Amino acid sequence: MADISKHMTKACDMSLGNAFVPVEYYTSPDYFRREQDMIFRRAWLMVGRMDEVPEPGDYIVREVPTLKANVVIARGKDGQVRAFHNACSHRGVALVCQPRGNTMTFRCPYHAWLYRIDGSLSAIPGEQDFPHVDKAANGLAGIHLDTWGGFIFLNFAQEPEVSLSQFLAGLDVMLDGAPFEQFPFCIRVTDEIDCNWKNLVNAFNEGYHVAVLHNKTLRPAVVPKDNPHLHYLDVKQFGPHSTGTVQRNFDYNPDAPALTWVYAQMLPTSAPDLDAIKQGRAGFHDHPGINRLKIENFGTETITVFPNISIQPLANGYLFYQFWPISERRMRTEVRIYSRHAPRTLREEYAMASTLAATRDVVVEDMAMSRLQQIGMESGGKTHQQFGQNEPLLRMFTRDYEAYLAGAAM
Amino acid sequence: MADPQSLPEGFEGLAPFAAVWGQLHTQEERYLQRQQSTMTQIRDFYDATAPRLDEIFCHLEQFPMDALPDAEALLYRTALGLTEAAMAVEVFGQPCVPYAPFPHKMAIQWSEHC
Ligand code: FES
Ligand SMILES: [Fe+2]
Repeated sequence: MADISKHMTKACDMSLGNAFVPVEYYTSPDYFRREQDMIFRRAWLMVGRMDEVPEPGDYIVREVPTLKANVVIARGKDGQVRAFHNACSHRGVALVCQPRGNTMTFRCPYHAWLYRIDGSLSAIPGEQDFPHVDKAANGLAGIHLDTWGGFIFLNFAQEPEVSLSQFLAGLDVMLDGAPFEQFPFCIRVTDEIDCNWKNLVNAFNEGYHVAVLHNKTLRPAVVPKDNPHLHYLDVKQFGPHSTGTVQRNFDYNPDAPALTWVYAQMLPTSAPDLDAIKQGRAGFHDHPGINRLKIENFGTETITVFPNISIQPLANGYLFYQFWPISERRMRTEVRIYSRHAPRTLREEYAMASTLAATRDVVVEDMAMSRLQQIGMESGGKTHQQFGQNEPLLRMFTRDYEAYLAGAAM
Repeated sequence: MADPQSLPEGFEGLAPFAAVWGQLHTQEERYLQRQQSTMTQIRDFYDATAPRLDEIFCHLEQFPMDALPDAEALLYRTALGLTEAAMAVEVFGQPCVPYAPFPHKMAIQWSEHC
């Protein structure tokens, strides 16, 4: 590629303001309450993958900490996947106590009210004492569920304002058929930290920090000579969602002995598999919505799904990050590393553990900075953050964040 | 029964490291051990095991991966400690990720569903 700089999308190219953003958005309990009501109770929220519940009777339990929701996701006899609040109709017990399993009925451990896998109430012991309870109207409380690309989304509104496809606003169309299902094996890393969730959303929406904060971890592998501040290329907007193309150094060759040994056993999630690329079996590499510029040193397409998800398709899998606010100054980070298969040998298992440690440490760097950022913002000396021309996605997020808090349609 | 704390023949020299890293069963524990070790301890462990990775796995490969005998399981757990030690030696030059809280825990789950 002759001159990469013309593809470095700047805030002015997208007509984005929000150069100055109030610190209050990141520190105020009132803003957190508005985020709960105006964003998280209205948006479609991604919570899992369909392949976590492949068979009829399979179920998983998921927390949505922002809404204090405890959710059962279950595949019915009819093959349909449904979501319910994990709360007994009798006196409220969170009755499904295993994180996952397979069953055709859920039995409440308190007084044994019995529910079918589709959430309907099937039996009340001593039913004569509950003449006022209509069984047909007392199943587990349902939550709207839809799927895209094998991902499960929930919507906590009584009636969603828009369908999932409308909400995704074309992102789903561009990425239609992206082969997420080729990478079913997942390692999940979670942590809670003292910072506002948007600190981490922002960290994943700019490459400006990569050469500095990730100097020892990511920089040698991903920051190219012709893009030292790692501008995202070819940034695309879809409603509040976005994608951007990120380069990688294909000549990166770790010379550290232990890391080199790992590369020889099984390539890390992010390392390009040159043979696979040549043979057209490199997963996401050939999808038309990914790397539209066809840059030769393609690293990842960073996909941001509003409000709290970042997905990075890579050479040998993909990374999935999710950021849940718990309060204005506490959040949960969930990182999932998806690979083609479970480890088949001890060498592969070792290599995957090593990749996990390396991936985790990069996120730990981001989380560490987000925590320091929170301390600085709460100290109170600054009223605003300043977003550069090279941070267009931070401005875009702020634009849509402000609009939703003010009541704009999803 | 062989002593569950003895290493396979030829790997006895790794005993001091097996006494530390070989006692850990999860990546979470290994990450904490790395943070709580001195750089000298980590480097000694790294210097003793990194050059022998291939030898270690050639030995382990003679057994089914999900049914390692006690001595081999101990050797394997010891080797896995290197996934953390190598980050300290080869990447950061210090035990902890810079600027991270100490000690820092992260929950890790390997998926069962496939
Ligand atoms: S609370 Fe569930 S049966 Fe009573
Ligand atoms: Fe980062």
